[in-house]
Amino acid sequence: MTSKSKRFTVGWLYPDLMNIYGDRGNILTLVKRAEWRGFDARTIELPRGTTGGMEDVDVFFFGGGQDREQALVYEDLIDHKQSLLERAVAGGAGILAVCGGYQLLGHYYQTAEGERYPGIGLIDVRTEAGKKRFIGDVVVDAQIEGLVPPTLVGFENHSGRTYLGPAARPLGKVRSGAGNNGSDGTEGCLQGAVVGTYLHGSLLPKNPHLADLLIRRALTRHGVSELARLDDSTELAAHEKILQRAQPRAPER
Amino acid sequence: MVRRTAAVWAGKATGALSRLSGRGGGTTLPGDVARAIDPTVLRKLTGDLTQGSMVITGTNGKTTTARLLATMLEGAGLRVVSNRSGANLIFGATAAALRSAGPDGRLRADWGVFEIDEASLPKAIDEIQPKAVVVLNLFRDQLDRYGELEKIARTMERALGNLPEGGRAVLNSDDPRVAEIGLGLERKPLWFGLQDTSVASKHLPHAADARTCPRCGASLKFTAVYLGHDGVYSCPNGDFARPAPSVAATEITLNGFDSLEMTVAGTPVRLPVGGLYNAYNALAAFAAGDVIGLDRDFMAGRMHDFKAAFGRQERLDFRGRHLVLVLSKNPAGFNETLRTAVDLAGGSYFVLGLNDRKADGTDISWIWDVDFEQLAGKSVVVIPAGGRANDMAVRLKYAGVDASTPQTDPGRALDQLVASTPEGATVHLLCTYTAMLDIRAELVRRGWAKPYWET
Repeated sequence: MTSKSKRFTVGWLYPDLMNIYGDRGNILTLVKRAEWRGFDARTIELPRGTTGGMEDVDVFFFGGGQDREQALVYEDLIDHKQSLLERAVAGGAGILAVCGGYQLLGHYYQTAEGERYPGIGLIDVRTEAGKKRFIGDVVVDAQIEGLVPPTLVGFENHSGRTYLGPAARPLGKVRSGAGNNGSDGTEGCLQGAVVGTYLHGSLLPKNPHLADLLIRRALTRHGVSELARLDDSTELAAHEKILQRAQPRAPER
Repeated sequence: MVRRTAAVWAGKATGALSRLSGRGGGTTLPGDVARAIDPTVLRKLTGDLTQGSMVITGTNGKTTTARLLATMLEGAGLRVVSNRSGANLIFGATAAALRSAGPDGRLRADWGVFEIDEASLPKAIDEIQPKAVVVLNLFRDQLDRYGELEKIARTMERALGNLPEGGRAVLNSDDPRVAEIGLGLERKPLWFGLQDTSVASKHLPHAADARTCPRCGASLKFTAVYLGHDGVYSCPNGDFARPAPSVAATEITLNGFDSLEMTVAGTPVRLPVGGLYNAYNALAAFAAGDVIGLDRDFMAGRMHDFKAAFGRQERLDFRGRHLVLVLSKNPAGFNETLRTAVDLAGGSYFVLGLNDRKADGTDISWIWDVDFEQLAGKSVVVIPAGGRANDMAVRLKYAGVDASTPQTDPGRALDQLVASTPEGATVHLLCTYTAMLDIRAELVRRGWAKPYWET
């Protein structure tokens, strides 16, 4: 049963440090949805100093952390993980990067003082520090072909402003919330099999269609082209609740 | 003096109106009104206290710890002012002081016991000038409102550095982030901690944070984990370690939500509330009592007769079902209440209430850090409730828990509870703050509970 083609591996980058916004939900969703379809799914943890098994990973997850923790992973990312991540992505593996992880995969992060911290440049985005923090629900009208429903929902909490270069496409346009930078109306990025986003909440549990997109894209290299349909009524009911709230809200009691 | 009296009168009138109109207990608004008239009203009122004040802060356990301290002091015949209803911003503390002030605008009481929100600590210390400040723990909580844990920790550290002459910090040695704060203080804090690895686990839960050494950044090694990231830890490079607690709890026995026993510095203590978090709360109260010179046997005696605050392990009967209401508002707290309900109390019927109003935190992503997997195979009925019941249902699905239809309306959740549980069943209602208020309000409306400000 555990032939190579039925295996699905999630690689969790820095699970002990970059896990601030319930990011475990994204891992659980990827693993469960693969399991429910008969895959032998597993998660390997990739904390600082560990690179073992990275070549087997189908989808990496890179979450957000506090400033202190983000600073701690930075060196390890560049010294140990960068080249292996580049190789994995070139080989068709996917990445979901949220918030801090999203910023670190880009070209750089520029502080308010103008200092630039280079990222690993895996996606064509750059981030600059902003003053106002964007906090709240986000609804995105997705610009991803074949995505049903055509919306993404989540919660954002960031002060970084991320701008996309020509090689990266946005996940979509924000219907409510700030998104990438609060000015150009875009949210997230899609570049090959890499998804970067500011949405947590967790993101994938309420967006099972995006979870399946990541799984399917990563599995094409194992010759899997179609995923069996699952009953997503529970997930989509939660998705729908956020869409409803995005309508003008009644004043709070 | 005139200004202060006017402030007290205006505040008191606001409180009376608020209660009369049935809009709540007047637990915050009076403080707001009085402070607008005299911004120094809390400083003046607490200055009247014959003995002084104590402040309790931290992510989890503030209300219970404050209540324990107030109970002990009242048992000694002292007059205590306390913000018992859990309104823990500076306005709530002010409102509590106003309620006890006389018509001349003076506070006639001996002690002030104030639970204070972490972010309000600098203001509280400045205005209240406490004799003791208890810091229970620092867990991840309401990131949308407070920002990151690190920021709160730094705010608290600065505040504790400004304690008045003779004021003592009473800190949890088992919490690495609290310990980091304490080790940086000029005046040595009093450390309290658990010393019984039989109630500890070996592994950190998913919800843990503050796991790196503040000096070298290495991941801390834990030899025991009591609750969240609280335990016995040290830096592998020897740069940082748990301070030895001078007030320690040993020989801990937990009997579900019913009771707990422990020995504190040779004194046996028994509490009619359960759960490891209450061992911490009682221990913290004990340590604070030590600081102000309360007799240990006396404290143990008062704890024996303790009654929990509303929604903190409150028990109510409802149409033949025994309800146990337990506030569960963040991963560290929820994991522990789940563990107590499932493993220690043998619970199999649950209502899990999740709201996302301001007081709960508008970001509910934290439910993915809670190990609801504990319920899989052990629960019979689990009803997702509250405004975000749908999200709770998704969480339960991915935890492998067979849940009922989500109920966003508290009345419907209660009806569902009656429809799906047998008579005589014990049902655990684990809810976030306002989800608890909503369910309680519905129970009050149906005549099964008293309003919270009367408890």
